[in-house]
Amino acid sequence: MADLALLERLCCARGISGCEEEIREIILEEIRPYADCVEVTPLGNLLAFKKGANRAKTKLMLNAHMDEVGMTVTYIEDNGLLRFATVGGIDRRVLCGKPVTVGKGIPGVIGAKPIHLLTSEEREKSVPVKDLYIDIGALSRQEAEEAVSPGDPVTFDSLFDTAHGMIKSRALDDRAGCAILIDLLKKPLAYDMLFAFVVQEETGLNGSKTAAYIADPDAAIVVESTTAADVAGVPEDKQVCHVGSGPVLSFMDRRTIYDRAYYQMAFDAAKETGVSCQAKQAVAGGNDAGAIHVSRGGVRTVAVSLPCRYLHSAVSLISQKDFHEAETLIERLAEKIAGGE
Amino acid sequence: MTEDLQELLFALCAAPGTPGDESEAARRAAWELSDCGETEIDRMGNVICRIGNQTAQQQILLDAHLDQVGLIVTRIETNGFLRVDRCGGTDRRVLPGSPVTVFGKEPLTGIVCCMPPHLTECGEDKVESVDRMAIDLGLSTEEAQELVSPGDRVLVRAPQKRLLGTRITSPALDDRAGCAALIRCAQLLRNQTLSCGLTILLSSREEAGGQGAQTGAYSLEPTEAIAVDVSFAAQPGVDPAKCGKLGGGPMIGMAPILNRPMTNRLLELAKEHEIPYSMEIMGGETGTNADEIAVSRTGVPTAMVSIPLRYMHTPVEVIDTQDVAYTARLLAEYVKGVD
Repeated sequence: MADLALLERLCCARGISGCEEEIREIILEEIRPYADCVEVTPLGNLLAFKKGANRAKTKLMLNAHMDEVGMTVTYIEDNGLLRFATVGGIDRRVLCGKPVTVGKGIPGVIGAKPIHLLTSEEREKSVPVKDLYIDIGALSRQEAEEAVSPGDPVTFDSLFDTAHGMIKSRALDDRAGCAILIDLLKKPLAYDMLFAFVVQEETGLNGSKTAAYIADPDAAIVVESTTAADVAGVPEDKQVCHVGSGPVLSFMDRRTIYDRAYYQMAFDAAKETGVSCQAKQAVAGGNDAGAIHVSRGGVRTVAVSLPCRYLHSAVSLISQKDFHEAETLIERLAEKIAGGE
Repeated sequence: MTEDLQELLFALCAAPGTPGDESEAARRAAWELSDCGETEIDRMGNVICRIGNQTAQQQILLDAHLDQVGLIVTRIETNGFLRVDRCGGTDRRVLPGSPVTVFGKEPLTGIVCCMPPHLTECGEDKVESVDRMAIDLGLSTEEAQELVSPGDRVLVRAPQKRLLGTRITSPALDDRAGCAALIRCAQLLRNQTLSCGLTILLSSREEAGGQGAQTGAYSLEPTEAIAVDVSFAAQPGVDPAKCGKLGGGPMIGMAPILNRPMTNRLLELAKEHEIPYSMEIMGGETGTNADEIAVSRTGVPTAMVSIPLRYMHTPVEVIDTQDVAYTARLLAEYVKGVD
C-alpha cells in the first residue's frame, strides 16, 4: 500500500507544468535504491527501469505525470502587483481570493475588489483572469522585482487532510498516480517494467509523447485521476464516476480509444484481486494515453484512474480506499500485460 | 515591536468567531487584555476591559468588533453534502473550490462545491448564489448527520502569512486588526495614570448588524467613544477617493454622525506626534459600529478611526502591521489627553 506520508510529501511539493524539478527530485530520491536504471530525458521526464523475476513478454510502461495546474507571473505592475496567466485548465471561478505561493516560496494572495464596492451585476460574475492579480505585499515594482520575476511559477497553497477515509489536497492530479507508481517500483516485480514519471501533461502531453518515444514500449498503463462529478446538484447520468466506488477504467475519452482487450483485462484484474472498480461513464477529458497510444508504431494502452472531485482547483478529494485499490488493480494488471496475456 | 504585533494579530485571527459565535475569539482577546485591567465577557459575547479611573467624569469607550464573516449550515442533503447560507457579508466569488473548516462536533475539512461549468448555463462566467453551493466533507449522510448540525458555522480556510515588508495576510483581519490596535493601546496605557476612565469593548455581531456594540454602549454609558474598524486600502478597480493606503497610517473618519471636535483632536494629535494618517469622508452612515454607538441612550459623541485593508470580506485580507501600531499610538495619545 502506498504510504500517505509519501503522498503528502509529493502533494505539498510544487511543480506546475515545465517546473517539475522539485517533484522529480523527491521521486528520484525515493526510487533510486530500487530501480536498476534511471534516466532523465531532455524534456525532464524521469524514466526508471526495474528488472523483475522474469523477462517481460510484452514490454510495458507505467505512466504518471509529475506536473500540476497552476499559474505563472506574466508582468509586474508599477504598484508592485503581479499579473499572471493560468498554466493548464483552471476553472476561473476558483481563482479569486485564493492564497498562493510565487517563485521560490514567496507568499501571496489573489485579491478581489471588496464586496461593499461591487455593483449587483459584479457580485454574481466571476472575475476574468485578466482582471485578477497577485499581491505579495510589495508596494512598488522595485520591491516586487527583488522577490519575483516574470515566468515564476505560482501554485495554490497546500492543505493535506486524511480524516474520515478521504484525502483532501492540492495536486492529487497526478501526484496520487506518482505515489502509486513509486510504491509499485519498490516491490519485487514478476516481470521487467518501465516506469515513466512525465512532465507537461497539463499543457499538451509533451512529456509522455517524448517518454513513450524513448522507452518504445509495446503496452502502457496510464495512472491518472479523473473527474468525479458525483456532487450536490448533478444528475446521476452526468456524474461520470463515483468517489469510493473503486478505480475508474476508461473505454474512450476525447483523445483515446483504449485497447479493448486490456480494458476487459483490467476488470478481470479487479475481480481476481477482489477490489471494486467502475467504468468511466462518459466520453470526456483526456490524459497521457492520447500521446502514448500513437507513439512510433502504436502502443496498446489502458488507463486506470482515481475518481477525483474538484480536479484542477486549490483542493481536490479522493478516497483512501480507491487509492489503495487502484494500486492493487494496477499491480495485477501490469503482471498480466507484461506476462503476455 | 512589529514582530510582537504580528504575533498578536495572528493569534487573534486564528481563533474562529463568526457573528453570534465569537466565544473562542473572545476568550483569546480577553486573555490578551487581562494584564491591562479587569476583563469580562458579557451576555452578548462582548469582551469588556476596564482601565484608568472608572469613577472619573469622562469615560472613554474604544470599540472594535470581534466577529468575522463566514457561513452557516442550513441543511444536510441526502448525499452528505451541506447546504449553507452567508453569516455576515461573505463574498460569494471567493467560495467556489475553497477549502473550509466546518465547526461541527469536531473541526472538519470541507470543499465548497459548485456545479461543474459544463453543466450550468453560464459556465465559468457566473458565480451561483450561496444557497446553490454545497460543502463536500467526503462523508456519508449518516456520518455527516452525526458530526454536523444546522446552525454550525463554517469558515473559509486560508493560511496566515507574512508578505513583503510589514504586510501580512490572514482571514479575520476585519476587524481583529482593530482589536489588536485596542489591545496594543491598552498595553501602552497600562502603566500610565489616566484622569479619565477607559473601557475597551471588543464587540460581537458587527457583521450581522452591530448588536454587540449597541448593547455594549448601552451598558457602559460612555461620555465619548471611538470606533475602530478597517476600511478600504487602495487597490486596482477601487476609487482612490474612497481609499486609504497600506502603510499610510490610520484613516480618520468624517461623517454627519461623527463628532467634529473629537475628529479634529485626532487630526491634531496625528500631526503633533508625526503619525501618518489619511482622511475618510463619508456623506451618510459609516457602516461601522460608530453608527450604533453614537445614538446609544441620549447620544454619545463618537469618532472613527480605520485601518486600511485590502480584499475586505475575503479569506485573504491584507494589512500593513505598521498601520496597527500607528493606530494604537494615536488612540493612546487621545486617551492620555482627556481630562
